[in-house]
Amino acid sequence: MSPAQPEALAQAAPSRAARGSIHVTSVAKTYDATTVLSGLDLAVEAGTFVTLLGPSGCGKTTLLRLIAGFIQPSAGKIAIDGRDMAGLPPQRRPIGMVFQNLALFPHFSVEENVAYGLRLRNVPEPELRRKVGSFLDLVGLGHLGGRRISQLSGGQKQRVALARSLVLEPSILLLDEPLSALDLQLRKQLQVALKEIQRELSTTFVFVTHDQEEATLMSDRIVVMSAGAIQQYDTPPAIYSQAANLFVAKFVGELNEIPGRIAATTAGTVEIDGPGGRHALPASGLRGYSPAPGAPCVIGLRPERIAILPPDADAGGSIVLPGTVIERIALGPVLRFVLRCGEQRLVAVRLASDGAALPEAGAACRIAFDPADAQIFEPLAAPAAASFGEKP
Amino acid sequence: MTETQAPSPAKALLLLPVLVLLGLFFASVFQLFSHGFADADGWSLRYFRQILHRSDYQVIFARTILSSLTVALVSVALSYPIALLLWRLERWRNTLLIVVLVPWLVSLVVRTYGWLVLLGPKGVINGMLAWTGIIQQPLALMFNDLGIVIGLTHVLIPFAVISILSSLLAIESNLEEASGVLGASRFQTFRRIVLPLSLPGAFTALIVIFLASIGAIVTPIVLGGMSHQFVGSQIYQEVMYTFNLNKAAAWSICLLAISFLSLLLLKAIERRLIGPLE
Repeated sequence: MSPAQPEALAQAAPSRAARGSIHVTSVAKTYDATTVLSGLDLAVEAGTFVTLLGPSGCGKTTLLRLIAGFIQPSAGKIAIDGRDMAGLPPQRRPIGMVFQNLALFPHFSVEENVAYGLRLRNVPEPELRRKVGSFLDLVGLGHLGGRRISQLSGGQKQRVALARSLVLEPSILLLDEPLSALDLQLRKQLQVALKEIQRELSTTFVFVTHDQEEATLMSDRIVVMSAGAIQQYDTPPAIYSQAANLFVAKFVGELNEIPGRIAATTAGTVEIDGPGGRHALPASGLRGYSPAPGAPCVIGLRPERIAILPPDADAGGSIVLPGTVIERIALGPVLRFVLRCGEQRLVAVRLASDGAALPEAGAACRIAFDPADAQIFEPLAAPAAASFGEKP
Repeated sequence: MTETQAPSPAKALLLLPVLVLLGLFFASVFQLFSHGFADADGWSLRYFRQILHRSDYQVIFARTILSSLTVALVSVALSYPIALLLWRLERWRNTLLIVVLVPWLVSLVVRTYGWLVLLGPKGVINGMLAWTGIIQQPLALMFNDLGIVIGLTHVLIPFAVISILSSLLAIESNLEEASGVLGASRFQTFRRIVLPLSLPGAFTALIVIFLASIGAIVTPIVLGGMSHQFVGSQIYQEVMYTFNLNKAAAWSICLLAISFLSLLLLKAIERRLIGPLE
């Protein structure tokens, strides 16, 4: 029985730089009565490191397995490099996959694990040796080829799994939370290594994680998912500073949420009743929300956007609120402040090098922020907020 | 905490049952050896000489070893597909496992007599074959080695199913998926991944069944008849009919030696074939 030859690999080989685009068009996945994914659209450019980010149960792994071909969509279309993948099993798709538990073959050596796919394709022995060697070098395991899998550390196993998939030179490598079982130190090392390898090969990587820091560190683009829908697809900085909605803003990075109520909207400005009275904020801060006067809202402020001023300082054009410092914690290069402004608790982060001018815990202060830094969100619906964000 | 405490007398008392068991075990082995290396007049190697030199006894040894090997190989061969099925049918696994184990709920003697009904010259199988005209004369299905192998395989097969199933269940859940993504067909995945990883279980089954079969008594007596003895049934006869306990002990020591030697041999073959997995 001859192996199913992934002809896509062979065909696309000459134009390598252009390989690895993914087009997901109105894809839905339902099991019996439960909808896991609904109406998903996503276009991934070739050579991108894209992360599917979201809380557990948001459908990110389902999307990955749909792209892989382990499951078929209930509706919609998935195309890789412009070819419709409908009905194709994983081995007929130009993909590689690194599993959460790695799924290394325990009865093979490191080398034989990496050689497995090549042997199935009847690659001649000298070429096979050369490829296995060069991909083991790529992941930094060139000296461990003869080891048994059980003799490897967790990080080394990750690298074997990576080499085993990459040696087949897939257009797309799918990674299903492969780092989640590692300790923090090792995880950080491998995050950097993964990113470097991806840059070197310019293969499209689709990486699933629930760790927003990991996503921010590695990705060119992040797909934030929740409740079976894509909340936002953008670069990490854009997602951080221009979150599409409150769910995304809360999920990626730390966010101060200040409840308020819309007083009036005019061209260019929104007036909001909040702590310390009525504030005029630029309408550019509205994030996918067009509220009517009287509607509730949440003002979102990133901790590093909050300035702490001595009681007598000049605030420039900022909005200033009176407050007290509750805590001041030194965290290496930054100082983390917990502030209170009326009933509102706020977190601010300042550079440690500016520490001399900043108040100590217990001191009264003035809390200031630039109106342009305020993001205005629609509040999350109450039950949805509990289950982490279902869009109405 | 408790490691540093001196063992209290009460705790030492808990060791007593173990000591009793060990004592009984060594006493019986001592008894066996002191009987085996003696005859009615005192120390003697007479029975060993007799057992090892009589040609009809050599046939018994050969039959015991070869039939047991056949039973072990046939059991593993028949069990492997059953174990695979149980492994695949996750939802039905427990129910089917009970079906596999149901024969154990019936006494060994009863089951073996059941085979008499099936295998006899006027038994169910011969009756069916004669009725359909496939055979004219009844086939000799029992009171020979075939009958013993059939009976023992039936008794011992659940061991093989359980042993193979447990090694299949130890295979990490998505190794097959991984193999598929890397380009393997279902058959290639089976041959290169599933089969090698389940071989240790199959080999364990082979060893356990061989050792269990080599000491069988009831099945050879019932299905082998007087003309087809096993070492075990021979020992039974020496004890129950000729009352020669010395000779029975000598037989037993030979059986013990065969078990040990074949265990060592099979383990060596296993290492050669499978290699250390861990």
